[in-house]
Order: sequence, then structure tokens, then C-alpha cells
Amino acid sequence: MNSKHTIVRNTFFYAVALALASCATVSKPGSDVTLENLRAFEISFVDQFAVPGKRFDAAAFDAKVAQGNAIFQDAINNEKFSARKPVLRDLAGQFKAEAAHLRKKASTGKVTKALATEMKRDINDNFDNATAKKAE
Amino acid sequence: MPPRKKQNKRAKVRPKKKKSSELDSVLDQVSDSTVADAKEELQTLLADAKGNSATFYQQNAQKLEERLILVSKGELDQDDFNFFVENQKRAAQIFIDSQPPQEQERAEKLTIHLLEVAATKIVPVLIAAAL
Repeated sequence: MNSKHTIVRNTFFYAVALALASCATVSKPGSDVTLENLRAFEISFVDQFAVPGKRFDAAAFDAKVAQGNAIFQDAINNEKFSARKPVLRDLAGQFKAEAAHLRKKASTGKVTKALATEMKRDINDNFDNATAKKAE
Repeated sequence: MPPRKKQNKRAKVRPKKKKSSELDSVLDQVSDSTVADAKEELQTLLADAKGNSATFYQQNAQKLEERLILVSKGELDQDDFNFFVENQKRAAQIFIDSQPPQEQERAEKLTIHLLEVAATKIVPVLIAAAL
């Protein structure tokens, strides 16, 4: 009797937790999802090209930068709230600056592990600030 | 019953000696007398920023300090450092603009000025010392 009661109770809690988790996912604002996508793209860009000792592939690099610029531009164009566009423009500008620095370093074989780590640290801080700004 | 450990009461109440940071040790190795003033200014500004109650100052100073250490180890060069300083300055400018007018001068000193002292006066010496 007691164990049956425990199973029923646990099932109920599990169902409630599942419902809450799905609500949280569904109710996440669309622009936050976009920010997270942009963050993930930028981090993967650094992971791909800021690798010490890796041969620099200019064509692949430029293609990825063009893809990044397009993604940022789409995010700016699709942002429904005009007040949020400057935040996205800032992030797009930071991506361009980062790409320019990384190109200079990677093409001359001067990438260090610390450079990659610190770049990702700044990217995360920038996106954290942007997310916080949107919540204001 | 095991014998009671003798406690050193005096040691308990004695205030802890302030630990010198890793950056202090790095800066101590810089013997160039021409940058003595810059070194002192950097250390004073860093201490002020880290002791400030606003998180932004603390984080900005912490990041700067860690990057100076990376420079001293040869893991970041002047070019990298300048790039990161520009990032920090951009964030600092937004922070300064958000401060009340009477606070802005101090905010500028503890952020942008601090970053510039590090980039223009300290990093070149650290790089020369690391070579």
C-alpha cells in the first residue's frame, strides 16, 4: 500500500516537473533563443579557428565569417522590437572585430590557447550583458 | 579521553597578513625605474577597483589582472592585449554612461584610464622582460 502510494506520488511529481520544464522552454522569448544561437555560433567559430598550430584555411575562415555576418544581419532584421536592435548591432560589430583579430593571428600562426580562452570569455560576457539588458 | 590540543590563542586573533597577488609578484620583477610611477598607479587603481562595491569594477579589474599575468607568461602578446582592452573599454563606456554625472569621472578613472595605463605603460615592459 505504502509503496504504491510512493509510486503514485513520484509519478505525480515527475509529471509536474516535466510540465514546468516544457513550459519554461516554450515560454522563453524568441529573441533570447536567437541570442543563444548567436552565442553558440560565435563560440564554435573560435573553437574552429583559434587552435594553436592549426594550418590556416583562408577560404573556410572567410566562408564562416560571411555566414556569421549573415546570421547576425538576419537576427537584426527579424528583431521585432526596434529598441533591441542596437544590442544586436553591438554584438554584430564585436563579432566582426573578433573575426578581424583572429584572422590576423591565425594567418600568421600566432594563436595561443590563452587567446582562444579569453576570446570565449569575452563572448560569453558580451552575451550575458546583452541578455541582462533585454531583461531590463 | 584524548589529550586536548593546545590552542594558540594569539595566532587566532592575529589579523591575517594581506596576501600579495600573483600580479604583484610579476610587477615586482619589473625593475625598470622609468615605469615605477606607472606600476604604482596601476596597483593603486587596481586595488581601488577591486575594493569597490560595484561588481563591474571588480570584474573589470580581475579580467585585466589575469590578462596581465598571461602577458607576463608570454601567452598573450601586445596585439592580443590591445584587442581585449578595446573590448573591455567598450563595456566600460556603457557602464560609465549608466552612472550619475558626479560618478562618471571616477568610473572613467577606475576603468578606461586603468586599462590604458596597463596597455600603454605596463604591457610593453612585461613583454620586454619576458623576452
